[in-house]
Amino acid sequence: MISDDQGPIGVTRLILLFTAATLVALALQTVLPYWLPLGFALIPDLVLILVVDLGLRHHGALAALMAFVMGYATDAFSGTHIGMNAFLTTLVFLLAYEIASRLMVTNVVVGVVTVILGVLIKDSGAILISSGMAGFGQVGRMFPQMLLKAIVTAAFAPAVFAAMAGLKRLTGLPAASGREDNRIEGVLR
Amino acid sequence: MRSSFLWRNRVMMTGSLLLLIAAHLLTTGVRPGDMASQPEGYLLGLLSPVQSASARMIESTHDFWRDYLDLVGVRRENARLHVEVARLENQRSRLYEMETENRHLTDLLELREALGLKAVAANVVGSDATGLSRTLILGQGYDSGLRAGMAVLSIDGVVGKIIAVSSTSARVLLIDDHNAALDAFDQRTRARGIVAGEIDEGLTMKYVGRSALIRDGDPVVTSGLDGTFPRGLLVGQVSNVEREGPGLFLQVTVKPAVDFRRLEQVLVVTDPPPRVDANDQGQG
Repeated sequence: MISDDQGPIGVTRLILLFTAATLVALALQTVLPYWLPLGFALIPDLVLILVVDLGLRHHGALAALMAFVMGYATDAFSGTHIGMNAFLTTLVFLLAYEIASRLMVTNVVVGVVTVILGVLIKDSGAILISSGMAGFGQVGRMFPQMLLKAIVTAAFAPAVFAAMAGLKRLTGLPAASGREDNRIEGVLR
Repeated sequence: MRSSFLWRNRVMMTGSLLLLIAAHLLTTGVRPGDMASQPEGYLLGLLSPVQSASARMIESTHDFWRDYLDLVGVRRENARLHVEVARLENQRSRLYEMETENRHLTDLLELREALGLKAVAANVVGSDATGLSRTLILGQGYDSGLRAGMAVLSIDGVVGKIIAVSSTSARVLLIDDHNAALDAFDQRTRARGIVAGEIDEGLTMKYVGRSALIRDGDPVVTSGLDGTFPRGLLVGQVSNVEREGPGLFLQVTVKPAVDFRRLEQVLVVTDPPPRVDANDQGQG
């Protein structure tokens, strides 16, 4: 078994749900900025919010694989280095997973903070990977814009988390990780 | 089994393995068009209808909103006339859009004839997914004759080159992306250099010798030496020249001739550009 969420039906539902959500997120991320030219900083990274949702609430090897695939899908629509977004989204997933595994409850505040950290890590990583050593100076130059983007993305995060939780309930998937439920039950006992 | 070390650390281990795979893809320098990037083409094709439909939908909403704004403030003394005006306004908007598109396509046709090379017109349907890189998505792909490496132009000048193609869509790396570079020269002084994008927007012309008498407003055009862009196409105009500071070369800032955010139709040159002799160019 590669996921601790549910059986094969739950796994299939989880994959389908996140596949559909990723496609919608990518369609929005590629089409909206073209029609509403807001600039790099004001485009929310919706795929990253989905990856954080995965990392905080789905603790299995499948979720890690899904984060990788979501990053690879982003590579198809961004930049010139294949594997860069796959690498960085997997890294953000592991960060979210580590945060979730150390906290008793992963509420929306934890999600928002993780999204801010995730955007900063992902964008700094993207600049460093694509620019090499010269990237350190560029990260400094771009930091205000990256921070603004992190805040904009974080502002969208609660709505995306709520939408995903609603869709998970609708499809019969658990909204929180099984491990989190076990820990709360342990405390209550 | 669930208490074993492997099971307890399965997420971190899977994640680490995936990081290694991603790092391998990065370090082997897989570029669009290579075997390992074929799934990328499928993904590009998969989302193409969604992007085209979204683009059409957003355009209609945009038109509707513009019509609505035009109508705000008009007194409601005649509802029938109001609706009629809205309908006519809508029609006018559509006609205006068609006329604009027609004008763009006519301009592109003229450009194609002036170039004397085979080229196809393509619609822009989307932009980069993360915004950190500067790419555009075209609504035409392999089926329309587009291939990776082809030059993309607009009536105003050079746009970029195609880096990935699926059957129905293609991705263009804009010249102002920080990973893009093209061979160009200052048309007035003939000084050659490499025009490259900057991470925080804009273009710089690198490797221009300090003796070059470049000044603000000079047109910068393609040299044709990179084998991608035909010679003599406008890249932009010199907007600043830094002569102070150390180094062998001038710091030249170039303002792009094309407003990349307003592109709707572009021309993709399907013929390879004619070979250019380096001696025909200016000196660097």
